[in-house]
Amino acid sequence: MTHAVATDAATVARRVADVIDPVFAVIDSWRDAAERRLSSDAEPRAASVDPFVHDLVAVELVRAETLITGAGFVAAPGYLVDAPWHLAWWLSGRSPFQAEAARGIRRLDAESDPDAESFRDYTTLEWWRVPERTGSRHLTGPYVDYLCTDDYTVTITTPVRVDDEMVGLVGADVYVARLEQVLLPVLRGAGGTCTIVNASGRIVASSETHRATGALLRLDGLAEALAPLREAEAAGRVTDAARLPGGGTVVPCGDTSLALVVE
Amino acid sequence: MPHATARADAARAVIFSPLEGAGRAELVEQRLTDAIVSGVLHDGERLPSEADLAKSLGVALVTAREALVALRHKGLVRTRRGRDGGSFVTYDRDASARLLDERLRTTSRIELRDLSLHVAAIAGMAAEVAADRASDDDVASLVEIDARADLTSAGGARRAVSRFRLEVAAVSQSPRLVHEELRLQAETGPLLFLCLRAQEYRDRSRQARLDIIDAIRRADAASARRATVDHVTECVEWLIDEKARLEAGEGSGS
Repeated sequence: MTHAVATDAATVARRVADVIDPVFAVIDSWRDAAERRLSSDAEPRAASVDPFVHDLVAVELVRAETLITGAGFVAAPGYLVDAPWHLAWWLSGRSPFQAEAARGIRRLDAESDPDAESFRDYTTLEWWRVPERTGSRHLTGPYVDYLCTDDYTVTITTPVRVDDEMVGLVGADVYVARLEQVLLPVLRGAGGTCTIVNASGRIVASSETHRATGALLRLDGLAEALAPLREAEAAGRVTDAARLPGGGTVVPCGDTSLALVVE
Repeated sequence: MPHATARADAARAVIFSPLEGAGRAELVEQRLTDAIVSGVLHDGERLPSEADLAKSLGVALVTAREALVALRHKGLVRTRRGRDGGSFVTYDRDASARLLDERLRTTSRIELRDLSLHVAAIAGMAAEVAADRASDDDVASLVEIDARADLTSAGGARRAVSRFRLEVAAVSQSPRLVHEELRLQAETGPLLFLCLRAQEYRDRSRQARLDIIDAIRRADAASARRATVDHVTECVEWLIDEKARLEAGEGSGS
């Protein structure tokens, strides 16, 4: 692999990060607003937090160009005085299985009674568990979100802290189909076969038409090359490109936890 | 929202999702009947109001009302008037068993085999694709579902089968297969897996699960499909025998 191609790969990886960074920026702004709002609230209640979160995310959810299809705030258990378990999450847009597009946005109807059969302890799930452990942003997926929208989704979540304590998280869902739409032009502009994978090696998008989104990219040495990405959330950013024994290059896409594989 | 809270129990959530096609009151009635006799909805549980039911199922108010009247006649719900009123589930084990037997009697062999083909087509394909696409985490979640299976009751064994098939579909990364799996589970209810009344078949369902997990772990797509299809076929063959027994007037009595 020549020096010129390696530089090109870094540029493409940067452009991929540029596509996703605005989503991160929006979530970070929600986190800042939530931290400001909650730090001045001695007795935070769902009754007053919900309208605040709604107003916060509604503007983005109805924006025509947005990648985001769902967003909100999830409270740490016991944080809100009137709702021990609480999700304030709103959804927009249409799923392929809905008869017609929903007008405006709708609230996710979550079970918050721990005694109910359908209750699920969300602190055990990846989108909560990882940010709680690392203290920073995490991208979960792609995965089929059969518990919520029946769609193929990535979910990005980041902790909300008050007085150094995690009181909940804010996050957003992005349809993978929408992501593919905006990533493919970036990949097509580059030389060689370019494939975006998550930290588990699952394909998000590829310039090779026969590589399916959702399949695992099986290349020698890829799992090892992606390992630092899985650990990066705790340790800080990874920027080093890695070479695969078969000649490919793996370049992290900024701090998205996605990687570009160039062959 | 991943693996959420909202529809943590997807089998329950699908009960109140929109219906399509003709004979809507019967469809509503059948779906709620399945949910009650299979124990997805619990004894004493309050159903949504007629208006909410109509809205969430996407049917007219009179259709929802008609279905509730039919359920009342079957003795599956009772209605209380007044402030704390509404329709409440009344689950009775024996009555449920009788209703399921009745449904088996009125469903032809041809329909049963066709149903099992459809289920096998969806679940088999999902298993085949899942074998190719499962990460280590995915295999771990399948193992966990199996570990949590309650094989001491027919209901527990059936919930494990449903939950496992749904997760395999999710591992295939196909929203359509997941959607179709959920739809089929809502449509067939507990009928296809009546064999889980027998301990022997609960044990076999466990073995099928272990075989499928093993095939997925080895990325052996053909074996994953085979084990899935064989299990569905075995269940429907038992069902057709049971139907013959019922029709000969010598029901298993279970």
